[in-house]
Amino acid sequence: MVNKGADRPAAVPRVDVQFDRPHRQHEPRDQLAVRYRIEGCDGEHIRAIEHSVLWYTEGKGEEDLGVHFFQRITDRAMMPPAATAGAFSTPLPQSPLSYEGLIVKVRWCVRVRLFFEGARDFVSEHVFVLGRIPPARLPASRT
Amino acid sequence: MRLPRFYAKKRGHRRTGSREWGVFGDGLFHGTLLVAGLCFGGLLVSGVAAPEWRINHEFRESRGTILAKGLARTAVADPPATVVTSWRPCLLVRYLADGAAHESWSRGSSADATPDREAALRRLNAWKLGDEITCWYDPSAPQTVVLQRGYSWWLWLLALLLPGALVLIGGSGLIRGLRAWGKSEEHRAASVGLSELLDPLAQPALAAPGYPAVPVWDDLVNSPGTILRYRLPIESPESWTLVGFGLFALLWNAVVIVLAVGAGLDLLGGRIDWWLFALLVPFLGVGIGGVVLFVRSLVFATAIGPTQLEISDHPLLPGRQYDVLLAQGGTGKIRSLTLSLEMEEQATFRQGTDTRTEHSVVWKQPVADFHDVSAAPYARFEARAVVEISPDAMHSFTSAHNAVRWRLVVRGTPERWPAFSRIFPVVVFPPNAEVLAPPPRLMASRDTARSTEVSW
Repeated sequence: MVNKGADRPAAVPRVDVQFDRPHRQHEPRDQLAVRYRIEGCDGEHIRAIEHSVLWYTEGKGEEDLGVHFFQRITDRAMMPPAATAGAFSTPLPQSPLSYEGLIVKVRWCVRVRLFFEGARDFVSEHVFVLGRIPPARLPASRT
Repeated sequence: MRLPRFYAKKRGHRRTGSREWGVFGDGLFHGTLLVAGLCFGGLLVSGVAAPEWRINHEFRESRGTILAKGLARTAVADPPATVVTSWRPCLLVRYLADGAAHESWSRGSSADATPDREAALRRLNAWKLGDEITCWYDPSAPQTVVLQRGYSWWLWLLALLLPGALVLIGGSGLIRGLRAWGKSEEHRAASVGLSELLDPLAQPALAAPGYPAVPVWDDLVNSPGTILRYRLPIESPESWTLVGFGLFALLWNAVVIVLAVGAGLDLLGGRIDWWLFALLVPFLGVGIGGVVLFVRSLVFATAIGPTQLEISDHPLLPGRQYDVLLAQGGTGKIRSLTLSLEMEEQATFRQGTDTRTEHSVVWKQPVADFHDVSAAPYARFEARAVVEISPDAMHSFTSAHNAVRWRLVVRGTPERWPAFSRIFPVVVFPPNAEVLAPPPRLMASRDTARSTEVSW
C-alpha cells in the first residue's frame, strides 16, 4: 500500500483497503470487490472521493496509465465524517495482464483519492495482480 | 501558503518535475503563443487586410484626370550597413467626390512597389498625362484615392495562416490545461472525447476490441499465404538503413552540386575562390562515400533475395501450436538460416530534449535451424516448422510509451555477403482469449474507462 499526499497535511489520513480475493490475485473477467475504511482525517472536511481501478507502466519508459473504472463521489452523506467506510466493485478486463518485465512492467492497482477542502488531495494506492504471467528473466533464452 | 516544489518524487528513485510548475509553465507557454497569435493577427488584419477590404467594399467609384506623375521612393534601413530602396508609381488625379472636385496623389498598393527603378518607370510610362481614368475614393476621407482594386491573396493567406496556427496551438494548449486543472490523473485519463482532439500525440495506440492495450492485428492478416493461411508482413532493419543512406547521399550531394556550380561560375568568370575550393574537396569526398555506401546497401538488399513467412493462424494464443512456412528466394548459398520466436520489450523515454527508445529481447526460442541452404531463381528454398507459444506467455502489449512485442525472426549468413536479419511481427493474445474476426482498423476501440460520477 502506498499513501501519498500532494501536500504534507497536518494529520496524514489512512485508507485501509480490503480485497475480496486472498493475496490480491485476480483473474481476467473476475468481479473485483473492494471495501475501504478512512481514518485520521481529524475533522478536516472532505469534498470528494474518487475510486479508480487502473493499470500503469513502470520501468525505463515514460509512465502510461489506463483507467478501467472511475467513480467520483461528491455526496457528503457518503464520506467522512458521515460515513468512514465505502465499497465498490467492477468486472476486471481481459487485458493488460500484470507483468514484471525487465524494462517494462505493468501493474494494476486500486486508488482511493480524497479531496480536502482547499486544494489538497491525498491518494491511497493498493496494487493487485491480474493474471498469472511469470516475471521475465535473463538470460534471454528459454528453450 | 507555500510555493509548489520544483521537484516531485515519482515511483522508485527517479525525480521528475513538479506537476504544479509543469502546469504553470505549460500555461505560460501556450498563453504566450495565443497572445502572440492574436497580436500578430490583429496587426495583419488592421494594417493590411482591413484597408484592402475597405477599398474593395466601401470606396466609391468616380472618374478622374491624370494631372501629374512621378515615382515615390521608400528607403528602409537593413542593418548592419545597407538600405533597401523601393520605387512605386504615383499619379496626381483630379476627380469628383460627393459633387466637389479634389486633387490628390493616388495611393497605390504595396504590391506596386519594386526595388527595380527601371521597371517602376516602365509602369509609370503606361499612364499618359491628361488621360481620363476610373478611380475610387474614400467617402470618409475624400482626399484618399486609389486607381486599382483587388486583393493580395498571399497577404490574406499570411494573415490567416501564421496567426491562425499560433492561436490554434496556444488556444488548444490552454483549453487542455484548463480542462485538466484540479483533476486527478485518473479523472483526466478517464475523460475521453475532447482530450483526443486536443492532444492526439498523447493518445494510446489502437487496441483490439475487448482487449485493452493489446494491439490490433488487422495489418498482419490482410495478405493470404500460398500454402498456409496468412503471409506475414516483413519488417526489415536493412530497408531502413538503405533509405537512410539514400536520403543522406541525396541531400549531401545536392549541397555539393550547389557548391560546385558556384565554384565553376567563379572559375568561368576568371576568379578563384580558394576557400570555396578547399571546402569543396572534403565535401566531395563525403558525397562520393555516401553514394558508395548507398549502392553497396542497395546491392546487398537486392542480392540476398526475398524471405517469406506464412503461418497457419493469427493472432497467436498461449498454449497453442502453429505451422510456419519459411521460404527464401534469390540465388547463391546461405551457410545458415535460423528461425526464432522472440519477445521484445520497448520503452520510450525523454532524456533532456531527446526522445529515446530502448529495446530489450527478454525471451527467445529457436524454432528451426538450416545449414547450407541453396536457393535458385525458379526454386526457392522452403521449410516448415512448428511454433509453440508458452501457456504462461505475456501477451502483446502496447501503450503510448511502452510495448511488449512478439516477432518471428529469420537470421541468415550468406556465403558471400554479410549476415542479414528479417523480422515478422506477430500478435499474441492473453491466455483463454476468444479471438473473433480481425476488426477493421476504424472500428478498433481504445482502452475506454468505465466512468461514473455519483452525486445526489
